[in-house]
Amino acid sequence: MKFGIFYELSVPRPWTRESERTVYMNALEQVRLADELGFDQVWCVEHHFLEEYSHSSAPELFLTACAMQTQHIRVGHGIVVCVPQFNHPIRIAERAAVLDILSGGRLEFGTGRSATWTELAGFQADPDDTKKTWDEIVRCLPKMWMQERFSYRGEAFSMPSRAILPKPYQKPHPPMWVAVTSPGTELDAADRGMGSLGLTFGGFAEQDKKIAEYRRRIKSCDPIGGFVNEQVNTVNFLYCHEDSETGIKTGQRLAGTFNYLASQLVAAREAYPTRSYPSLGLLPQLRQESQSPGEGGRIPEGLCIGDPERIIDVVRKWEAVGADRINFLLNAAETIPQQQVLDSLRLFAKEVMPRFQRDAQPREEAAAVAN
Amino acid sequence: MVLIGTRDIAPLLEGAPALDSLDAEPWSTPGVEILQATWEIDDRDREALLPRALHPTIPPVGIFTVARYPETPVGPFLLAQVRVSCRAAALPRGFLLRAFVNTREAADALGRHWGYACATGDVRLARYHDRIVGSVTDDDGREVLRVALVDPEPISGGDVQYVANMNLATLGGEPLLVQVDPEYTFHRAERGRPELASFDRAAWRAEGVEPVYPIVASFTTVDTGFPAIRFVLDPGKLAMEGTRRLR
Repeated sequence: MKFGIFYELSVPRPWTRESERTVYMNALEQVRLADELGFDQVWCVEHHFLEEYSHSSAPELFLTACAMQTQHIRVGHGIVVCVPQFNHPIRIAERAAVLDILSGGRLEFGTGRSATWTELAGFQADPDDTKKTWDEIVRCLPKMWMQERFSYRGEAFSMPSRAILPKPYQKPHPPMWVAVTSPGTELDAADRGMGSLGLTFGGFAEQDKKIAEYRRRIKSCDPIGGFVNEQVNTVNFLYCHEDSETGIKTGQRLAGTFNYLASQLVAAREAYPTRSYPSLGLLPQLRQESQSPGEGGRIPEGLCIGDPERIIDVVRKWEAVGADRINFLLNAAETIPQQQVLDSLRLFAKEVMPRFQRDAQPREEAAAVAN
Repeated sequence: MVLIGTRDIAPLLEGAPALDSLDAEPWSTPGVEILQATWEIDDRDREALLPRALHPTIPPVGIFTVARYPETPVGPFLLAQVRVSCRAAALPRGFLLRAFVNTREAADALGRHWGYACATGDVRLARYHDRIVGSVTDDDGREVLRVALVDPEPISGGDVQYVANMNLATLGGEPLLVQVDPEYTFHRAERGRPELASFDRAAWRAEGVEPVYPIVASFTTVDTGFPAIRFVLDPGKLAMEGTRRLR
């Protein structure tokens, strides 16, 4: 089992010049520490207009800053929105290649299509079309990276023959992933030979089933890229403290804050009836089965919060359901003071990570595999 | 942190229905036809549309509904509503600004049992070759709403989402928000472009509700109802603090 960290870059109101910067700087400090401690991936979302919940609208810049300030940790797009109104495919390919070069070949390339009406309508993207455009774009990207010249005539975009430059540092290209929130997307990942970047907080039973089906199905995939990236990441909250009660309470506050922020958004499916979004995605996971406004939502099972021993037990369960890596959300709207976040990372690295290092590859070998 | 409603509810309470109790017998209403059209609304002062118990959504959405209930304990009626999207803590809801219904019996019953602030009027729902139109004319003969779904196309009922109501009412003189959360069994669903030909904000107590960006319209045939009340909220407290579970 490996461990990464995951950023929404949520900024609580009131927004000031310094408050936005503080969130970014705190995140970078956490990333530097994570790199030293042996976390092997840092992921950052792409979101737009999501007030307080996520102010990460230019993740390529944040990830570049991460790469420039670290040595080993891989930098992951969690995700790039492959909807032409958000990002033209040529620019996606170009920016990714540059980030891969600047990071020395440490890019992990996650893809997705946005799941909120807030964002889709902001860019005037049609919810009915996003699954199609995602599929079209992810099939083109590897070719853009691998072929000297690329031309294309399609529905999401077309272009005459051009050399798309530069090419990525990793050959044939960075590992590709797809965000798995809607049911069935893990099958899309498997069919295309892509990594499954779990971005929901589903319980063990649900994830067990999804991961098993992914593993089965990827064996007969038709990969869209130059290689198959069979990996399963799952996302979780992390708060590690010597005192279990403190760890659980603080962790629950973290999860609850995240839940509250996320729920103010308007999911695509909530606003617009479409086959393209068969579920509400992340939000029902967070709202769980709570029917009462006063209950505040049940905290999902399997959270990595508490003292090290408790977290070890939870991680073992995630390992048992087949996850390769857990990516941790460390904070939400700065509800946990920065020093406590850093202490939590240190304690986790000291007490929990070594218990799983029997499966860990040395850094150099991991990088070689990715290349 | 998250935005919180700032609306002074005193003016709304003047017209708020007085509940008989919180134990109304549920109604089962088969074969209901629902036209729903939504718009993003001007977000400049979105907190002012909602009481303190509720949070505005990002973006705020105006929900316009005209529904035909062919079989109810008070006979058939048509019910039109204007609601503002919101969250009660983390849960999606629609805050009812006002409703119009075409029979006095239905207005009384919906008000006394579920807190619907109903005025009576001529409520209509009609299907044309290229559109489904809902309209409301008040008792003074003024058209206060005309909303349509244009160019309907079939979709799956499972794709349609209806949010529960938050109705401002009183019980024993005390204000409360009543959650009305029916279930729906879909028989038919269509989707199309929304069109708003007339909307008298004052008639709907919808000052500040300015539709600025069309989202979608849907038309469904469902079995639904008016369920037993499960939750009520103190409109002056955040939902996390002020919710009372009844059953």
